[in-house]
Amino acid sequence: MKVPLSWLREYVRTDATAEQIAHALSISTAEVNGVERRGVPGDLSFFRVGHVLEAEKHPNADRLQLTKVDVGEGKPYQIVCGAWNFGAGAKVAVALPGATLPNGLTLERRKLRGEVSEGMILAEDEVDLGTDHTGIMVLDAALEPGTPLADVLPLVEEVLDVEPTGNRPDLLAVYGLAREVAALFEGELVPLDPSEPPRGGDEPVDVQVEDLGGCPRYVGRLFRDIAIAESPVWLRARLRAAGVRSISNVVDVTNYVMLALGSPLHVFDFDTLHGGRVLVRRARPGEELRTLDGTLRKLDPADLLIADADRPVALAGIMGGEETEISEKTTSVLLEAANFEPVGILRSSERHTLRTEGSNRWEKGVDPHVAGPAATLATRLIAELAGARWTGHTDVQGTLPEPAVIELRPERADAVIGLEVPAAEQAAILDRLGFAHENGGFRVPTWRARDVTREIDLIEEVARFKMDEIPFTLPERDATFGRLTRWQRLRRVAEEVLVGCGYFEAYTSSFVADGDLLLPEPMSHEAAALRTALLFSLVGAARHNLSVGTAEVALFEIARTYRAGGELPDERWHVAGIVDGGFADAKWAVEQLYGALKIVPAYERSDDPFLHPGKSARTAEGWVGELHPSLLEGVWGAFELDLDALVATSPEALEFEEVSAYPEVRQDLAFVVGDDVPAAALAAAMREAGGPELRDVAVFDEYRGEQIGAGKRSLAFRVAFGSRERTLTDEEANALRARIVAALAERFGAELRA
Amino acid sequence: MHDQPDTVAAVDSEALQRQALADVGAAATLAALDEARVKYLGRKSALKLALRDVRDRESGMALNAARQAIEQAVEAKQAELERGELDAKLSSEQVDVTLPAQLLGPLRPRRRGSLHPSTQVRRDVEDIFLGLGYEVVDGREVETTRYNFDALGFPEWHPTRSRRDSLYLTKDTLLRTETSPAQIHKMESHRPPIYMVSIGRVYRRDTIDATHFPIFHQFEGLAVDKRITMADLKGTLLYVMRQLYGPEREVRFRTHYFPFTEPSMEPDVSCPICGGAGCATCKHSGWIEMGGSGMVDPYLYEFVGWDPDEYSGFAFGMGIERTAQLRHGIPGIRPFWENDLRFLRQF
Repeated sequence: MKVPLSWLREYVRTDATAEQIAHALSISTAEVNGVERRGVPGDLSFFRVGHVLEAEKHPNADRLQLTKVDVGEGKPYQIVCGAWNFGAGAKVAVALPGATLPNGLTLERRKLRGEVSEGMILAEDEVDLGTDHTGIMVLDAALEPGTPLADVLPLVEEVLDVEPTGNRPDLLAVYGLAREVAALFEGELVPLDPSEPPRGGDEPVDVQVEDLGGCPRYVGRLFRDIAIAESPVWLRARLRAAGVRSISNVVDVTNYVMLALGSPLHVFDFDTLHGGRVLVRRARPGEELRTLDGTLRKLDPADLLIADADRPVALAGIMGGEETEISEKTTSVLLEAANFEPVGILRSSERHTLRTEGSNRWEKGVDPHVAGPAATLATRLIAELAGARWTGHTDVQGTLPEPAVIELRPERADAVIGLEVPAAEQAAILDRLGFAHENGGFRVPTWRARDVTREIDLIEEVARFKMDEIPFTLPERDATFGRLTRWQRLRRVAEEVLVGCGYFEAYTSSFVADGDLLLPEPMSHEAAALRTALLFSLVGAARHNLSVGTAEVALFEIARTYRAGGELPDERWHVAGIVDGGFADAKWAVEQLYGALKIVPAYERSDDPFLHPGKSARTAEGWVGELHPSLLEGVWGAFELDLDALVATSPEALEFEEVSAYPEVRQDLAFVVGDDVPAAALAAAMREAGGPELRDVAVFDEYRGEQIGAGKRSLAFRVAFGSRERTLTDEEANALRARIVAALAERFGAELRA
Repeated sequence: MHDQPDTVAAVDSEALQRQALADVGAAATLAALDEARVKYLGRKSALKLALRDVRDRESGMALNAARQAIEQAVEAKQAELERGELDAKLSSEQVDVTLPAQLLGPLRPRRRGSLHPSTQVRRDVEDIFLGLGYEVVDGREVETTRYNFDALGFPEWHPTRSRRDSLYLTKDTLLRTETSPAQIHKMESHRPPIYMVSIGRVYRRDTIDATHFPIFHQFEGLAVDKRITMADLKGTLLYVMRQLYGPEREVRFRTHYFPFTEPSMEPDVSCPICGGAGCATCKHSGWIEMGGSGMVDPYLYEFVGWDPDEYSGFAFGMGIERTAQLRHGIPGIRPFWENDLRFLRQF
């Protein structure tokens, strides 16, 4: 909300500067995004009220006037002017040579078509008071020439850009902010003027509210003999500074009062209301309304409406209807100062995707008690600015909630805040904010009724005024929890291993085009489901790097996958990688991962369709392989393992094994076997045959060739024989070896190579 | 069957299509498929001849439909056979998958990789809170509205509840919009003292642009104990911010509103880019907004069945990506999800 400071200062007396106010509000009330300086940037003394003494056509130009203007200096100034909406005798706004205009131009004495011009007679757009450039501003005839113009017009304005939180609709009003400023700076809050203008007649106002839940209050006022016109410059300037477009005097009044007091108003051209009446009700099936923005809207039975005798005339609280809009011809006006229930307005606003300054306030909950003062202020202004006769009044009310009285334990406030604030000071802060101390509690002011309902809410009121004074401490503890879980530690291990293997960590989206869990309202086709695997996201990341010409791609990710479960999906953490290399590269990383987690995996051939059928393997926790070439151009290795399963399988405790004091006998054994016998099967059989004295076995070479024969290969193993009790003799070692050779020959037809 | 028009096409398109699809389906090799293609779609095929001669619209459309169906079948079959032939060829390249990696092919030596900047921040945050004696928790990502909203005191009308702001899976389940549900779960299963930080993915229905992505990472701290005060919150966040952004940082607090804290405050940290003098990053204010914080709303204690007068606590939440952005001067959010190695290698 944009708040012109001159307006704020009308409601609160304080010496605080714009910066001080902005800072204090930011800390204690609502964020201030900035202070904007509008209008004349420099010395204001060059701007005066002028009295036009003479005005004639410029001798050398048909479109210009040559004037003599008294600016209070004895000798009149000669000023050339392009406007013709004034003549001798008018009081005008003058900028003298030396003046700097908001657009940055500094005026000089200079000749225009041969005549000296000493300054400028101002139109409103030239001093940023409006957009009009059709003529100069003609001022009140009673003004003395030479009067500083800044006393008459808001030549300079500071505008606060305040962003109240959703719980404080009372701050979407200049008066509400003035109340905060008064409390913060202990300044005086100027009471609202309760005086009503005299009534110019006594007509009934026919307002019926069918739905007092949706509309707890409706003040209707009738005005006759209205002269719709442009608003005076002060009003237009204020609205402009507040970011609201000026439309006409009566409409501007409604906007002005909304900004001033926070209660949105609406005006109907009374003569267009069928039956001269207003009914507040829910929409009926099939009803339509063309709103002020020109849109024909199909109404929902949940929409709250203002209707006349025959039809909807406004979407309550959101936007009026086109057919009952104020026009230049309007002479009678019905003013609506109502109150609407927030959730209904919010739902209607969502349904019609229509948010307005009005709906934005109603949906947050406006104080129904402020409708009265809003009607009063609007009535005064309509009477004054549009020459209207106020002829009728009605105030339909449901039961408005009684303000609550809430108990506050001062020591509880201290305990929450962590700062001792004397009870009297707590009460003083609350008092300044309108919370009256009574019966051992505080009566919540009507404008805070929705937001403040509990003791903790009162404590917040105190705390926000002490924000900067609260010290910096740490909790007093008698328990501590500072350790990663086993899962979290092992995740770090996995991260380290893969980084060490040359992989860079990727973060990819949880969403894919298809999966186990579809989003009913996806954001796009590519993000229509939650993923069940990380691989395909990593393929996308690899493809991106290929497309920008990056070589040596190795990426990994640790993230969740999602499968349909019970009430909630089954979420499992996976670790996956992709590498431009091949099966060997990917398997290297997987081996390191298993090694670091102290797991000995069993690899079996995989038939996953996205993998190379000859170069891919499954383990209990996932798979590793070369990507099927249809998936990504080039030769890629990839893997994906269930991290939760890895952590579950990883041994929690490692048991120490005594290092043998006796030397081991190492031998290399090469076997020729059929191509289809896996090396791991041979190694397992060797261990089985060798028993505990076969200390170690590892394959170190694979060989195919003519000597071996087709369909066969040679696998070489390094074995270590040893005993814990003694040094093995050569005979014992040879016997062990013979047992192994015999076992492999029997089980696999393996032949020991010489 | 519908009535046949007077000008009957020279062929029965339905029968032809049936036969063609059967033959295409039966083709076991690419050569056999090609034969079927010539037979049914070639220049001299019955179908093509009939199409050339057809004069009435209805027969023409029927023939055309048959042609399209056969073409699609041929294409699909071709892809299937090609994939089969490729797979057969690939299968002939079988290796012993039980061999150690170094026997499976040449291993390319690779320079050390690196952790994603978001993970680096995550680890820092973890370490800072471990040092403060907090445990690290990551709850689940798909949550019920009960834990994501109701337990946290989100009013019925709160915009975050709407399908325009959040990503729902069903009426009652959605991708969590903050990591706070993990805190409720903790509070339900453990009595205070609780000192925890939850870190993880959260989801908002944001259209992707330079500064928005529907997924980001949050870290949220929670402390519930006897005698926890707003001063403790201020002191804790001052410590955390100095650990993350440097010992010379200052922290200030502004009053705010969040559904699950009361009083609520937004912490600002003095701008780590300009030191508080004012720059583009801090929009010339000298301060950077860091997220949200406040005292745990007594409503939450009631939700989990504790006496709100016995315990008090604070909570705060901040963004991991935002932290990384500030640390490294990364202007947008896109690089965090693009996985461009030219970006990742810098960390």
